[in-house]
Amino acid sequence: MRTVFLASLRTHTRRYVAAAIAVIASVAFVVVIGVITSGARAGFMASSGAPYRGADYVVDAPKDGPSRGPSCCPDTLDTSDAIELIDRLGDNASGLGRVDLSAHREGGAPLGSGESGGMTTVGPIAAAEDLRWQKLVSGRFPVRMGEAVMHVWDAQAQDVAVGDRIRVGEGATATELEVVGIVVSPTTWTQASMYVAWPQYLQWRDQPTWHVGSVAVRGEVGPVQEGMRVWSADEYVRNGLAGLNNDTDMIALMLVLFAGVALVVSVLVVANTFSILFAQRLRDFALLRCVGATRRQVLGSVRREAAAVGVLASLTGTLIGAGLGYGLLPMINALAPTTPMAAPAPPVPWLLGGFGIGLLVTMVASWLPTRHVVAVSPLAALRPQAAVMHTATGRARLALAALLLVTGLALLGMAMIMDSMVFMVAGGASVFTGILLVGPVLVPRLVRVTGALLGPAGRLATENAVRNPRRTAATTAALLVGVTLTTAVLTGMATWRAALDEVNARHHPIDAALTSLDKPITSDLLDRVRRTPGVEQAIDVDGAVAQVTGFDKPLPVLTAPDAGQVARDGGAFARVEQPGTIRIDLSAFVDPSIRPGDQVTVRVGDRQAQLRVVPLSGWGKAGVVAPDTLAQLTDAPEPHAIWVRASAGADPLKLVDDLEGLADAAGAQLDDQLQAQAAANRELDILTWSVLGLLGISVAIALIGIANTLGLSVLERARENALLRALGFTRRQLRRMLAAEAMLMSVVATLLGTTIGVGFAWVGYETVVKRALTRAVMLIPWPSLGVVVLTAALAGLLAAVLPARRAARVTPAAGLSLD
Amino acid sequence: MTTTTRHATQETLAASARGLTKTYGQGDAQVHALRGIDLDLPRGRFTAIMGPSGSGKSTLMHCLAGLDQASGGTVTVAGTDLGSLDDDALTIFRREHIGFVFQSFNLLPMLTALQNIVLPLELGGRRIDHAARQRAHTLADTLGVADRLGHRPAELSGGQQQRVAIARALITQPDLLFADEPTGNLDSTTSAEVLDHLRRSARELGQTIVMVTHERDAAAYADDVVTMQDGRIV
Repeated sequence: MRTVFLASLRTHTRRYVAAAIAVIASVAFVVVIGVITSGARAGFMASSGAPYRGADYVVDAPKDGPSRGPSCCPDTLDTSDAIELIDRLGDNASGLGRVDLSAHREGGAPLGSGESGGMTTVGPIAAAEDLRWQKLVSGRFPVRMGEAVMHVWDAQAQDVAVGDRIRVGEGATATELEVVGIVVSPTTWTQASMYVAWPQYLQWRDQPTWHVGSVAVRGEVGPVQEGMRVWSADEYVRNGLAGLNNDTDMIALMLVLFAGVALVVSVLVVANTFSILFAQRLRDFALLRCVGATRRQVLGSVRREAAAVGVLASLTGTLIGAGLGYGLLPMINALAPTTPMAAPAPPVPWLLGGFGIGLLVTMVASWLPTRHVVAVSPLAALRPQAAVMHTATGRARLALAALLLVTGLALLGMAMIMDSMVFMVAGGASVFTGILLVGPVLVPRLVRVTGALLGPAGRLATENAVRNPRRTAATTAALLVGVTLTTAVLTGMATWRAALDEVNARHHPIDAALTSLDKPITSDLLDRVRRTPGVEQAIDVDGAVAQVTGFDKPLPVLTAPDAGQVARDGGAFARVEQPGTIRIDLSAFVDPSIRPGDQVTVRVGDRQAQLRVVPLSGWGKAGVVAPDTLAQLTDAPEPHAIWVRASAGADPLKLVDDLEGLADAAGAQLDDQLQAQAAANRELDILTWSVLGLLGISVAIALIGIANTLGLSVLERARENALLRALGFTRRQLRRMLAAEAMLMSVVATLLGTTIGVGFAWVGYETVVKRALTRAVMLIPWPSLGVVVLTAALAGLLAAVLPARRAARVTPAAGLSLD
Repeated sequence: MTTTTRHATQETLAASARGLTKTYGQGDAQVHALRGIDLDLPRGRFTAIMGPSGSGKSTLMHCLAGLDQASGGTVTVAGTDLGSLDDDALTIFRREHIGFVFQSFNLLPMLTALQNIVLPLELGGRRIDHAARQRAHTLADTLGVADRLGHRPAELSGGQQQRVAIARALITQPDLLFADEPTGNLDSTTSAEVLDHLRRSARELGQTIVMVTHERDAAAYADDVVTMQDGRIV
């Protein structure tokens, strides 16, 4: 059988390529996730783990015990205990901590500028070289009192060079330090601007912020005081990693879920490929059986073929994944510098896992098809042409599907009533599995209906597409998975975003507000604001500048009957119906002493009114009152604010920048909601696109599946296609027929997937979104869904390109003489 | 092979059938392909089974060759009652005792001619040693395809394919060689060559051959002719 196995593998290599690509893509996906997760960990080790790299043990204070550290830093070590420990261990200990001190140059100028000007942080540096975690850039490490090294960032920012002298501390503890070196140190809680030798550090032990958080120890620690905890260095770092791990593990888990989806799709594609390949080779198997191969021999041979494909594809996928992963790390570092990534040692468990999963996927996917192989009777070889297997969809299968559908729908109903995510996921999975099971009945019907739209020209394509219901169903199923999830995500996100927008519109009705206290707004300023690109509408708002109790600065008190022109909520916020109230955007003030419901006195000139505060937000530092109230306060209201509504496509950063310029020139102040919202929207966008990108991998694999099915069907139908050519079909017609077939499959899968996806999104909306945002309304993003359907149709066409070219190459004569 | 019932009289018989019936379908749709066949196939003879389409000759061959289960009656090949064998045992029996030449699609497309010829030996788990190779070459030589052994079926003519198939059928020295319309796809010259090879195999190698054909010309090469009609031997 070895000859047969090897020869089959050699002969059918090209036909296995597509199946292999599906496996390669999923395996590479898993491995990339592994490399990046490990990279994040390695990045953490390289930064936060650095102080402990040369240590055997770490001593720190337990987080849950009574606090023994200084009052600034409760979770740190008792200072005298720490000092005693470090004194006892000498060069084998490296204390880790910091102290905040004042810092001045020679001549008394404060070091640095801005808020932290005149201040610095000083940390100890280990005496033993292998416990030092700072890296020297220039100069040397401090060895005696009066010497210090400075972090390169601070040195650059404060223009300090080796040889400079800095006076650190005040009064009795003030010391002149000579900068003897410049260092870099990774960003950890132990990072300081300057580092000094331990005895020097001890000098400030009575400063309020002086602390020792932990001690890294080389060799044995010996007995320690109560309230000290001894860790092995490895364990300590790993424990510190746990916090980060929770995050990266969550992300990795999410990614693994997507990888799982890709794997399921791969199983479908690979299983389908094997079924088709084996169906085509039915006569080979039958002949083998005739000449004396037992079932077991035939089965063994095809299983070994599958295993060979699995091993090769998984190996390739692992290598490609590792390559991609290591290639992505520097890119992530460049794009997101706040997440340090380091090239990790090969993450062996992930690599092996990826390889194993690939092999498993292939074997699982080939299991059923290979079982069908052995069912072939030797007589099949004697029949002139192996009949196309019309596999009837079993009653058992349909019954199971019905059961799953009913249970699933019931679960989804429960989920909506009880707001239960668990029921939702279980119900969704159950319904979807049910749909996949009825696929062989459902999909061909849908194909027929859709095909009817193509008219008589599409009839052949339709007939071909439904010829083998199970095969068509399996092919479309792979795409169905990806499209359903994509649609559900798109719709869910659109609904979520619409809900957020609605909340924003209520809470932040005005996009931007220019407020002027000193002088009224000029009509010229209003014109210029209106002319600013990105401004849809702007109105001036009348009012008067008032003193309001509780606010130390004067406040414009406005009334805005025209607010509806610019407000996102239609101006509802500005319609103050009850006189006697004032609406104030409390969130616009840093520390308002006024609480909602307080009575305040509003004074304009010599008039005043007692008003109750109603908090609303979104129009900046101004109060909104009823027109009557304003009339009560002043006879001559003047415009003191301009309210702006941004147009839909406006670039928030630029618009705010422009308005800021106008406001500054006019001595007015600008409050805006645009930037905050833009940031929130961007996050949502990034999330949506990441999810879509990840699902894209599954969709791509599914499209490979369509190309594969079509390609193999073309081989199978070479004789028929040749006959069609002989009967007068042009090459172009033949190509079109195949393209139509591919499109039918992809469009049906997409339409079905879109419908199910929207349904799932609706359930999700009822279960999750509505609970979080009660006023949320289901929103179906028709344009996006249209793009999905169109993309799928085009991708279907693309999938047909190669098979169609191949089919068209067969000359009529060659096709007819094939056997 | 578990039950080996040998009788003295059967020493001279390669195969025999007794009361063989085969029906397909149920009720009204029932078709009687074989209606009680008694047949003895003597060793070393070239027997042709003739008859028009639908006469049951192919069914008879399938039952004799253990490719199909009879509905009633017994088939004994090389002293073994085929009805007593399960699928695996039957497969191994076929491998060791029966050779086939079909009308078309005789060869596995991915194997070379030589690989196809030695395939039955390989399936039996035998090492393809020098002797086996030698025998394959001798057979190929006799059949006139020695120079085509490295080629794949697609690169062989129809006649060459059939001769490679005969070589493959002969390599195990089977008790019985079945040929199902072996010349159905061939022109008359090539047909004559293939039939001549079959006849020489019977005469010179003592090979028992059963050939199913509907061509009178082909049947003329055989030692005996059995004619069938409506599931009976006439």
